[in-house]
Amino acid sequence: MLIDCRNIRYRYPNAEAAVFADLSFCLRGPGFHALFGPSGVGKTTLARMIAGNGPRYEGRIETPGVARTLYSYNLERLPGWSCVGDHIAKVTPPSRRERMADLIGSFGLEGCIDARFSQLSLGQKNRANLTRYLVQDFDLLIMDESLANVDETTREKILLKIKGMFPDKGFLYISHNVSEVAKFCREVVVLRNTAKQPQAVSIAGLDLAPDQPLDKSRLERAMLEIVHAA
Amino acid sequence: MLPKRIYQFVIIYLAALGGLQAIKLVFALSDYVIPSPADLWQTAEAVFSRYLGDALNTLAVAIVGHLLAIVLATVVAIIGRLTNWAGALIKVAAYNLQAYPIVAVAPIIFILLGDGLASRLLIAAMICYFPLLLSFIGIFAEPVVDIEHFYTMTGRMRWQLEVKIRAFENNAKLITVTAGSATLAMVGTIVAEFFGANAGIGYSLRIALYQSDLAKVLVALFLIGIFTSLYLALLERIGVWLQHKLVLPTGGTL
Repeated sequence: MLIDCRNIRYRYPNAEAAVFADLSFCLRGPGFHALFGPSGVGKTTLARMIAGNGPRYEGRIETPGVARTLYSYNLERLPGWSCVGDHIAKVTPPSRRERMADLIGSFGLEGCIDARFSQLSLGQKNRANLTRYLVQDFDLLIMDESLANVDETTREKILLKIKGMFPDKGFLYISHNVSEVAKFCREVVVLRNTAKQPQAVSIAGLDLAPDQPLDKSRLERAMLEIVHAA
Repeated sequence: MLPKRIYQFVIIYLAALGGLQAIKLVFALSDYVIPSPADLWQTAEAVFSRYLGDALNTLAVAIVGHLLAIVLATVVAIIGRLTNWAGALIKVAAYNLQAYPIVAVAPIIFILLGDGLASRLLIAAMICYFPLLLSFIGIFAEPVVDIEHFYTMTGRMRWQLEVKIRAFENNAKLITVTAGSATLAMVGTIVAEFFGANAGIGYSLRIALYQSDLAKVLVALFLIGIFTSLYLALLERIGVWLQHKLVLPTGGTL
């Protein structure tokens, strides 16, 4: 078991309606999973709750076998007093220097490691931010739109790289791209508004691995299921 | 090239002199009340070198007092940024104390420390300390969530890093506040000298007031304005240099 959420209830301060009403779902085993749903449905709030730095809620969230959860999001910034390469190197444990170099190369960041963070494009910023998380010690990494503004080809390359590099780790990928979550994720938790019950529906994705051929009809079916559930 | 601030001051000063001469003309006032330009020039020739020394003395005290206030405000604001009882206590104390006029406390300082350097320094520092402190507390207590999140999540956050992030992200504000408080340091020193000290341009102003010599007062004001503008201009240049150093890249292939 990776994440077990049971009967989560939560209402934003000063809001009339609850954002979560008896929300329950569970994700099994390591691998690449997704949290999918329309804007404003509470994906980020739920992700923060799972990471342990969200608001107080009713219910139970358990992450058995997960000693360390990290949460990354697309608006994060690196400090501006030195270049991106220095910042990433500084937070990389010595034993993971090789991995860092590999990730910088695979994520197409070689050209900008000597630049300040503010000089990067939005896509480069997100890739640089994700790189520093991937060289940390973690069991579960929540990627809240961490690849936003990255072009589709590079995004696919990055996702496959992560899947190949961390087969034993858990990932919860938050994205609005239905084909991406259907193609690369093992389980897709579709989060819906409180009017629909159950509020979360789990759908199996293709969990595409590097060098694995894509079954287009399976992908279309998975996509349809996700869209229908949402 | 002289900084823009000097030109600005000289224009304002000349305009004020022109205004005084106009008042003199309209109300037919004597040279005793408002000196003629020739009297003013004569007085300037007589007292300029002495007043220059006094103004430099005042500026030196103001700079040291300002530096003291910056260091103190930084240290206290770093503690005041905390969310525990110590931070709350410092914040409440700072907000309450700053409402109390320092000039009203000045007699106590002169009674306790005498009319020497210590009193001038302390009053100068106190006058610019509270505005600095309130701004610094505001800056250091405000989290920069998008940067701090990673360090908090990965257990790397230390108070030094937290302060560094917040100071760096608000460097423009810090520089503006610091430069702005320089005027207060100058004002504080002059007030202290005027009140009870035995040196500095404020002391010379007090003597000129007792002699009812407006020409001397105007010469003193000219020097105060010039030195305040120079100090402000210097701080602004340091600020621009700092921002340039902080923001510009070290190199890169972009």
